[in-house]
Amino acid sequence: MKPLSEMTHYDVLEIQAGSPADEVERAYRIAQTTWAADGLATYSLYEEGESESIRERIELAYQVLSGPDTKAEYDRRLEPGETEMDFEEVDLDLQFVDETVAGPSVDLVPAEIEAFDDAADEGGDTEWTGARLRRARLRRGIDLEKIAEVTKINPTYLQYIEQDQFEDLPAAVYVRGFVVSLARCIGLESGQVADGYMARLREHTPEKRRPPGRHARR
Amino acid sequence: MTASTPPHLPKARLVAVGGGKGGVGKTFLSANLAHTLARAGYKVVAVDTDIEGPNLHTWLGVKAPRASLADFVSGRESRVENLLEETPHHGLGLLAATHGNLAAAQPSAARRAELLAALRELPCDFVFVDCGAGAHPANIDYFLVGDEGLLVLHPEPTSVENTYTFIRAAFYRRMQLAMQKHDVRECVREAMDQRNDRGIRTPLDLLRAVEEMDPEEGQRFAATMKTFRPRVVVNEVASTEDIKLGFSVRSVCRKFFGIEVDYVGYINRDRAVRDAILLRKPLTEVHPESDAAVYLQRVAGKLVEAARNAGSSA
Ligand SMILES: Nc1ncnc2c1ncn2[C@@H]1O[C@H](COP(=O)(O)OP(=O)(O)OP(=O)(O)O)[C@@H](O)[C@H]1O
Ligand SMILES: [Mg+2]
Repeated sequence: MKPLSEMTHYDVLEIQAGSPADEVERAYRIAQTTWAADGLATYSLYEEGESESIRERIELAYQVLSGPDTKAEYDRRLEPGETEMDFEEVDLDLQFVDETVAGPSVDLVPAEIEAFDDAADEGGDTEWTGARLRRARLRRGIDLEKIAEVTKINPTYLQYIEQDQFEDLPAAVYVRGFVVSLARCIGLESGQVADGYMARLREHTPEKRRPPGRHARR
Repeated sequence: MTASTPPHLPKARLVAVGGGKGGVGKTFLSANLAHTLARAGYKVVAVDTDIEGPNLHTWLGVKAPRASLADFVSGRESRVENLLEETPHHGLGLLAATHGNLAAAQPSAARRAELLAALRELPCDFVFVDCGAGAHPANIDYFLVGDEGLLVLHPEPTSVENTYTFIRAAFYRRMQLAMQKHDVRECVREAMDQRNDRGIRTPLDLLRAVEEMDPEEGQRFAATMKTFRPRVVVNEVASTEDIKLGFSVRSVCRKFFGIEVDYVGYINRDRAVRDAILLRKPLTEVHPESDAAVYLQRVAGKLVEAARNAGSSA
């Protein structure tokens, strides 16, 4: 409940005081999308003129905290006891946030998004269904088309996998490969996911469609 | 979730479900959160306060409710317990708002207060209050009375706009009710007008103004402000951008208004929702495995957690 004028640069970026450089980078990128002039979250607030000063504060915070020297100096001044904070002192060339900044590619999903996940949804002991894969993907913000592009898998098959549409999928050996690639793209433990998914696929696939090798083994 | 009964809460927890815009899923969430918690073994009552467009009963599979909130408003029935209706769902009761009288009035503020006091006394764990759309004073009052206010948001400009209008209106109303001195109340009332002459633009400006007028009221203001903490749910998300909107809204509320909101979850746009309402059954019964049902259960989990935390700190 602090007014902007009393917020530290860390408050402005909504991160813990002293957060490391990658956190600063990530928080700044998130703030950029939040406060972009045509952003959805600030819709209807612009005529009130205040968002501009908020954007300036975000830029200032980033400029100070992204330079190792300025950050070290700032952190030192933030130490308890050092209450003198003079933001205006630093004379910086402010740019506006809607200009795309070429920087290291960072994960734009706030860390807290993970707090929404039931541990169970990604833990090892429940079955890997298509729906669970889809949720894991959505959470990480990866579109199916992107995965299709990277993996060269037909997007329709990826969709069938997520919808547990087993009867429309090709032979099991291929499906396993698809699931492994999909899981890897999302950053899941691919072997485990594929084992779980394939076990369910086998359960749901009628006997006659099973590859002959399987019958021969019995 | 199974029927093993969880430990009951010492007192009914009121969860108001509101939001600035029509059709964003307030009733969908009220009905399905109520059903999810009832299935988990809690005793739950779902209350429709949308006198102008009641339809909570339909989600809960009650075709023609026999009693209605309108009976309480008109004074035909003075005991809220007598208006409760059974639903086909174990542990889930309904207070409907259907009525034969098209001219049925909104309850007076005093009558609303009576209603809400009675709801708190109901022998159950959770009471869900489904509010009507818009920042009408009646809707705001229902929303404010909850121990918990869920704001439902769509990832669209219109809904975002109405959400801010609603948060602002609810905030000023809460503060006005909390202030005790006449001149301070008057100041809060004037501040509601964005173009007021006092130069008060944000809740933080108002806090400063009140502190200056009367330090004691200023303290009360700051304390009440801390307890004003709406929880946001983004409904019908279709992309990660949509999911992130909740965080952005939280950030905007913090920096723009000085108001803290919690982002408690999102629910995807899901065909299963339509399937369920066509059957007039809760989603969590028809498609408990659907993505939307899984996300709903997460939000329900947050509500239980908050209720337990409140119970242990009280
Ligand atoms: N997650 C979802 N996916 C798909 N459809 C949804 C979802 N949430 C809600 N809907 C649909 O949107 C419509 C409006 O929902 P609902 O009636 O709950 O909104 P409301 O906010 O209560 O509206 P009102 O302001 O009129 O009371 C319903 O038909 C509902 O089935
Ligand atoms: Mg409704």
